[in-house]
Amino acid sequence: MIEQLAPEIVNGIVLGAFFAIIAIGLSLIMNLTGTINLAHGSFMTLAGYLAFTLMSRGTNFWFALAASAICTAVIGLVVERLLISPLYKRVPLYSLLLTFGLSLVFEEVFRLIWGPSTVPFSAPAELSGATQIGDIVLPTYRLFIMAALVVVMIALLLFLYRTRIGLRLRGAVQDAEMLAALGTNTQLLYMTNFGLGILLAAIAGVLAAGLLGLGPTMGNDLLMPAFITVVIGGMGSLAGSIVGGLMVGLAISITTLYLPAASEVVMYILMAIVLLIRPRGLFGEEGIFG
Amino acid sequence: MSRNRISRKTFVASSAGAVAVASFPVFLPQRGRAADLIQIGASEEITGVYAEPARNEIRGMQMAVDQQNKSGGILSREVKLIVEDNANNPGTAVEKARKLIQVDKVNAMIGTVNSAVSQATSNVCLESTIPFIDTGGHTDSVTGSQCHWTSFRTCHSTWMETHATGYSIASKLGKKWYYLAPDYAFGHSLLDGYKDIEQKLGVTVVGEDLAPLGTSDFSAYLTKVLNAKPDVLIIMQQGQDLINALKQANSMGLLKRIPVAGPQGEIENFWSLPKEARVGYWGFEWYYKSPLVIGKSQAAADFIKQYTALYKQPPTARGVFGYVTAQRMMAAMDKAKGTDALKISQALSGEHFSGLWDGDAYYRDVDHQLIWPMWFGQVRPDGKNGDEWDIFDVIDAQPGDKVEKPADEQKSICKLNYPA
Repeated sequence: MIEQLAPEIVNGIVLGAFFAIIAIGLSLIMNLTGTINLAHGSFMTLAGYLAFTLMSRGTNFWFALAASAICTAVIGLVVERLLISPLYKRVPLYSLLLTFGLSLVFEEVFRLIWGPSTVPFSAPAELSGATQIGDIVLPTYRLFIMAALVVVMIALLLFLYRTRIGLRLRGAVQDAEMLAALGTNTQLLYMTNFGLGILLAAIAGVLAAGLLGLGPTMGNDLLMPAFITVVIGGMGSLAGSIVGGLMVGLAISITTLYLPAASEVVMYILMAIVLLIRPRGLFGEEGIFG
Repeated sequence: MSRNRISRKTFVASSAGAVAVASFPVFLPQRGRAADLIQIGASEEITGVYAEPARNEIRGMQMAVDQQNKSGGILSREVKLIVEDNANNPGTAVEKARKLIQVDKVNAMIGTVNSAVSQATSNVCLESTIPFIDTGGHTDSVTGSQCHWTSFRTCHSTWMETHATGYSIASKLGKKWYYLAPDYAFGHSLLDGYKDIEQKLGVTVVGEDLAPLGTSDFSAYLTKVLNAKPDVLIIMQQGQDLINALKQANSMGLLKRIPVAGPQGEIENFWSLPKEARVGYWGFEWYYKSPLVIGKSQAAADFIKQYTALYKQPPTARGVFGYVTAQRMMAAMDKAKGTDALKISQALSGEHFSGLWDGDAYYRDVDHQLIWPMWFGQVRPDGKNGDEWDIFDVIDAQPGDKVEKPADEQKSICKLNYPA
């Protein structure tokens, strides 16, 4: 029993960490600027493709991970300045439709450049194979992903709580007008915030490409669980995204063990239960960084 | 700037709206059928997990149509192929088939990759009395329990796939099996086929999982496989699902511990995999470097040459499905001297023709299944003799009539119900 359950718990945590990191990026962008970024998954895919292109030109995985994440964040900033920022003063539906359209454009561009099929992206050789912990066999790459995502989350927390920009970002979420009146360049904050969200998506995208087939829809396939994570965890809560992600990941993994047919629907059931009991989500009242 | 926060309600409503917009089928107005055109509608999974096989089917179809038009069309009428994206969804496929039939006024329908989509399209074509050849949806029911006089099938049935591969798997890899199948018509149909082999060979099944179509994380299933310690893991997933399963099996070290095999190894999937995950023993429906193709058929040699020149990669089984399907539909129209569904059906049924392989083939009159060979072989990580695409070694081949249900048995399952 425990031999079967233990690997599923680890798998669920890895999966949950994935959803959490994507959900945090979504939450960051959503809370400061009111943008529901439906192109978030496309940025994940873009980062995966950039890493693949770099690796096929001879660079190693680690350089490709860093370079593609930074490049994707820069592209995200350009998109934010040129297309999304003009819509900040409008109701969220405008940016939602824009980012939805963008995701379709991205998908077609991916098809044109890299083709409709998946490309052969490999995780680095040193992370392949399995690691034995007691009686439990765990894939090394998944353990690495879990560690990497924990590091990223800690770095994000430090950035938000230990830097002046982080302080201003938190302030802008509370009252952007007041912050602007006090002389802070809020447009710069919006840019930083959007870039940060896309950077998180990009890191998750490259890591996901080592596990999943890297095709034009890879990121979008992970987007729905991430949105559900946001709803379960509560809009705007960093802790909520982490807890929500872990709940969704664990629910999917454990259901797969006992009732595979329900493994896709279980996250929706979980969301329905949470919304019935606590409509704001588990951490919905505590504000974005609470 | 004013504060612009979103309520949970707005967020949920907006997300639901976006999903609704994304799934709403798009109907673009198309011009009506010109009187001098013969139009063939193709329903394909252009988006979704089967986008790659669908693209190759369309390539094959278009090649056949272009060749037909170059040689004067059908009865001096130009042939036009109209392709619609069924989005890998049976509901959308029904709408698109109706649109092709009612709005575009196509004379015949071909296409599909997804078995559930194939069956749904087949049913719509019967309602509208339009001849249909299922290009690449394998589930038994299309030429079995839900067969129709208007419907035919080019690719092999799941029964043929399981029976062509099952015996080889048992003799080569062992008799303790673990099944991993997609949870929809195709997977269920494959499992039925293997159940039949189990009884005949005395196979022990140590595990069986049906994973929902579109599953991205297979780790839970693969952990169960590792614990069950089978002689062989039989993976029945296709497309993106198969790629995800093999990639994750590799990252867990499973591929080095347990042999994998499957009823249907599409070369497109293996080209998309990293080399270390290109392993296993698979059923293949056609292969451009097979001994049954090379030097055995001039038509095949010409097809391979032209296809490779056009698309910069060798043809796959999907390309052959599309080519043969379109070619046979047009040949039947030619023979029927028009587009009458009954006459086309009668022209297709039982007619022997030379395929793109050694020997001939025919759509069996009892159920309209194309009877042609099925191959079994092993995937290699690397190409051979300077050809990077050639990553498959054929080990065994079975003639089509040996691996499909006998005609007498099929008669009691498939009732074609031709009009009086």
